[in-house]
Amino acid sequence: MREFVLSTLSGIASGAVYGLMGLGLVIIYRATDVVNFALASMATTAMLVGTTAVGWGWGVLGGLAAAVLVCSVGGVAVREVLIRPLGSGQLFTALVVTMGVALILDDVQLHVWGGQPRTFPPLVGGEVHIAGAAIQNQQLLTVAVAGVAMLAVGYLFTRTPLGAAMRAVAESHPTAQLLGINPHRIARLAWALGMGLAAVAAGMFTPISGVTIGGLQGSLFFAFTGIFLGGLTSMTGAVVGGLAIGVLANWAAAYVSASFRDTVVFAIAVAVLLLRPQGLFGKQTFERV
Amino acid sequence: MKRLFVGTMCAGAVLALAACGSSGSGSASSGSSGTIAIGAWSPLSGPIAPSGTQVTAGAKAAFDEVNAAGGINGKKIEYTTLDNAFDAQQTIQTARKLVGEKKVVAIVGADGTAATAAAFPYVLKQSKVPILFTYGGSSTWYDPPQAGLFGAQTLYENQAAALAGWAVSSGAKHIVVVHDDPAAFLNVANHVVSAAKEKDPAIQTDLVPVKLNTTDYSPVVAQVKAKSPDAVVLILPVPEAAAYLKQAKLQGVTAQPYGYAPDADPGLLKLAGDAAEGFRTLSLTKLPTDTADPAVAGYVAALKKSAPDQVPSFYSIYSYAAAKAFIKILQGIKGDITAASISQAAESASGIDTGLLPPLSFSADKHLGTDQVIRLTVTGGAFAAQGGFTSPTGS
Repeated sequence: MREFVLSTLSGIASGAVYGLMGLGLVIIYRATDVVNFALASMATTAMLVGTTAVGWGWGVLGGLAAAVLVCSVGGVAVREVLIRPLGSGQLFTALVVTMGVALILDDVQLHVWGGQPRTFPPLVGGEVHIAGAAIQNQQLLTVAVAGVAMLAVGYLFTRTPLGAAMRAVAESHPTAQLLGINPHRIARLAWALGMGLAAVAAGMFTPISGVTIGGLQGSLFFAFTGIFLGGLTSMTGAVVGGLAIGVLANWAAAYVSASFRDTVVFAIAVAVLLLRPQGLFGKQTFERV
Repeated sequence: MKRLFVGTMCAGAVLALAACGSSGSGSASSGSSGTIAIGAWSPLSGPIAPSGTQVTAGAKAAFDEVNAAGGINGKKIEYTTLDNAFDAQQTIQTARKLVGEKKVVAIVGADGTAATAAAFPYVLKQSKVPILFTYGGSSTWYDPPQAGLFGAQTLYENQAAALAGWAVSSGAKHIVVVHDDPAAFLNVANHVVSAAKEKDPAIQTDLVPVKLNTTDYSPVVAQVKAKSPDAVVLILPVPEAAAYLKQAKLQGVTAQPYGYAPDADPGLLKLAGDAAEGFRTLSLTKLPTDTADPAVAGYVAALKKSAPDQVPSFYSIYSYAAAKAFIKILQGIKGDITAASISQAAESASGIDTGLLPPLSFSADKHLGTDQVIRLTVTGGAFAAQGGFTSPTGS
């Protein structure tokens, strides 16, 4: 029983990280049609800046703020300098560009910060015991942050003029432009918001895992699985999908096989998509032929 | 058209013959230039670069030191390290440059098992240039011994036996081995199990496989806790070993943790924090921080002079010591220093004592110089040696 409780609770905490990262991916995708494969590398770079800020005496919140700022600004820079010049419709090229950004950033991290792992302090310390299993308060905070982020982003997109503008741009750039919406401004905001959320996810995760080059790639992998399971265009789906993947991965490792953990997780995701191709929370779209 | 085709084929054949002629024929010698050309490949770029640069720095420090003292019989050692980015194909390219262009008489202190093995056909078999004291290695390299290939690093299999012996001698009756799922880790884990059963046939052992690069160790620790072992042996890379230790402390797992030599790394202490206290691991050399030892102090001074930006580490102390051992072999050669004379001298070298590695001894049927390690325990947030070099076989 204790093993089940521990695997589940820890899976929810890990899944919250995947969900936050997935939320960032979906926001960028919905506004600009770009799948940002550099999300993990950019978040790691931001956390390395965060560790430097903490080393300068800025404290945990200061370090996290620095990380979020660097990641958001970095996202806007990537969008304006590398993605925007490609023009519209170059989805595959944009995807490859983000992969290139990821590789370049990994090298930059190595040369600037060296290869040794670094630590980032937690926002909250201590742990709680639930049914004999110990869960760190940082993990519980991660779940809370993911939930708040999901609600806040959902409110932004459905109840605010900015959110309406973002949805309009996601539907059709030219039509949005005709309505007086500047799609490039919306795209910049989307990248800043998406990458800011990625930095928050990294800030919740790295106090437990440490800051290592490539350390967030596994989480990005599960974040992608989560958004496919939850629905590529759904904010709620991104978070709920991430949570589901986190729990499924831990259950598969604990009760099936560690070696086949990913196989089990993807098999379940594929089975769901076969029944519901738009994902659990995605909307089915139709095209006139 | 036909004439053009034949002409092109003939030109190509001439070029190919010329290339074969210049690719190295085992006659590499130091001779007339007044220097002894030695080479190595190391990952100086990419994710493995942090350790690769340290390995390179250690060996270079040793060669700089001997050159400053006059070299070998008046000849300076010209040590060239090329970047292989830890890639097998690139290693073959660097090997061709070192052997074919630089005419090195030996490869010393190269880094990486799979990458180095990729160069065996060209370097060992075709060019007959010896490869000594690679950082890495595999039991298949030395059993049976291969001409020109010599090792100074205790293999993972012997480390596994040393860990098993330590756990059993400490009273463990039930050992759980937590290991990553790739075959390289499973092989070492299986050696822990077989070595433990050899020491105590009644011992209970369990294997707990983990997906490589797992970050959430809570299900793993829950499995370990359910088994109630006396000892847990970790065959995991540093970030995962640290994740296990932290989670084990959180969940109240009191079984004594052990880890193999790659886990004797400052990164583990940093990531695991106080969860690493009491962790037992192994070192292949003396502690790089033990400057009260004259040999270690000498290494630190040489490194500071040769590479002031490098911090003493397990990587550079090994390569420094390996280079010192190679220098001792060179000093024992009477006559020309050639690839052939180096191989011959290495094969008959015994009791080579660098003060940092266990004494190395080789013979015609033993090309791995040692199977010894030093036991370490994390005490007060730092690695502390528990005695001197010991062999898993008790010798």
